[in-house]
Amino acid sequence: MTTTRHPALTATLWLAAILMLLPVLATFLNSIATGWTGGILPSGLSLDAYQTILSDSRFQSALLRSIVVAGLALFLACLLIVPAVIAAHLYWPALDTWMARLVILPYAVPTIILMVGYLRVFSAPPLQFSGQPIVLVLTYVPLCFPMFYINVKNSLQALDTTELLEASRLLGIGDARLLRRVILPSIFPGIALAVVLNFAGLMSEFVYARMLVGGQFETLQMYMFAQRDLSGRLSSVIVTVYFLITLLITFAAFRLVWRTETKS
Amino acid sequence: MSHHASPVMKFLAAPFLVMLAGLVVWPLATVLIDSFSKSGAWSLGNYVEILTSAYYGQSFVNSLLISVVTTAIGMIFGFLIAVSLRYRKGGTRRIAMALANIGANFAGVPLAMALVFLLGLNGTLTLLLKASGLIGSLNVYSLTGLIIAYCYFQIALAVLLIIPVLDAIEAELEEAASLIGVGTTRFWLRVGLPVVARQMIAITTLLFANAMGTYATTLALTGTSVNVVTIRISELVSGDVFSDPNLANAIAMVLLLVLLVPILVSQLLLKGDKR
Repeated sequence: MTTTRHPALTATLWLAAILMLLPVLATFLNSIATGWTGGILPSGLSLDAYQTILSDSRFQSALLRSIVVAGLALFLACLLIVPAVIAAHLYWPALDTWMARLVILPYAVPTIILMVGYLRVFSAPPLQFSGQPIVLVLTYVPLCFPMFYINVKNSLQALDTTELLEASRLLGIGDARLLRRVILPSIFPGIALAVVLNFAGLMSEFVYARMLVGGQFETLQMYMFAQRDLSGRLSSVIVTVYFLITLLITFAAFRLVWRTETKS
Repeated sequence: MSHHASPVMKFLAAPFLVMLAGLVVWPLATVLIDSFSKSGAWSLGNYVEILTSAYYGQSFVNSLLISVVTTAIGMIFGFLIAVSLRYRKGGTRRIAMALANIGANFAGVPLAMALVFLLGLNGTLTLLLKASGLIGSLNVYSLTGLIIAYCYFQIALAVLLIIPVLDAIEAELEEAASLIGVGTTRFWLRVGLPVVARQMIAITTLLFANAMGTYATTLALTGTSVNVVTIRISELVSGDVFSDPNLANAIAMVLLLVLLVPILVSQLLLKGDKR
């Protein structure tokens, strides 16, 4: 297909990649430059600011809080969403149709709208957790739904579940056992991919963290927001470190995809 | 598949349905109900206030302007990038998908901060452009700045959503077109785009909704100085002098309506497509 490779299209790709990396590069330059005042080039380079931020206990605790909240939300999401997607796929086609429609939910109903409702929901029993970190764990679960649905559904479609069910019934093996021994292990890569992709997404969540819980439980995003007017060097270090974290998680996710792709 | 196991197995979905009811349906219901409450009584007062206030009207106009412009730019560039990636090997595609994914997750506070380092008063690019005499001044803390910032994640999201849609167009179709002398540009305008038109409309509505609902990037870049809907909502529930949670509920409902109508229409179009 190399014959149709247009020079204009190649240029588009390069331009897009450069434009996308430009803000990150500018931030990185800022983070290692010393004595950068007005000129186009800095007078010196140093990694000192990285030492300052990485050893800052406020940064460490914010990172830890974000990881714990995202981890708990993902654990809950696995327990609630995965069985439902499997049940819908195997036994409840009507629910499955509805789930497919719900995939666009995070776009159709942005977090700023749900946030207004949560303020009310969490201010009275039975969910009277106003301002507590558990609010984040709970509200992050619906945000995880699309990635879980898409990836678990893909894995289920790759299996011939109808045939598996019929075969196991002929052999007298119960559905529960088939689910546990055959189907769950086979869709595990899909679940893992959903977890990793959602993890990156939850680390970047800001609306709920700021509006529902606030500064007393500082997540990574809240920390960055508080530090955005700090000296240019320190805040550019924070952004660079955050970019590297996102990069790491994303490549972990794509390694998972790649491994399953080469297997099949 | 009528089998004795089915009704029991349906219970596996019960916890999920409870979660959906408690964490999506219930909050949305309170937003709807509370939007009709003004100073303790049932009324349409909140909606009247939104429709008659120049201030809130302006917030919707600004949000719509930014969203329409950045959705158009996102769709055009997203489509061009996705088409370019079609002719590339798996490695390039994978890297591009990863980059787009990072771009989408980089949105928010870090993106706003990075743009200030690039285009702020002492930004790297600002200084370069000024030195070369290309621009006199550039204010990134403005509506223009917001448009630049939104474009960043809108293009990334468009790439992620368009790539799988274009995969549905068979390479054979394109090869056949090229054999009878139809060039790449003409192929995409005449054949490619019409084939995926409905999916492209659906993606457009999602991008539009994504921009309308953006809060973190806006707050981190321009604070409360640019009047957009999401900033108004957050201010009304923040509990300071501007506080009026029920008005916030009504604005949230109007916003939801603005987002849901195009999305539902495009989803209906998609459904018609399958038949």
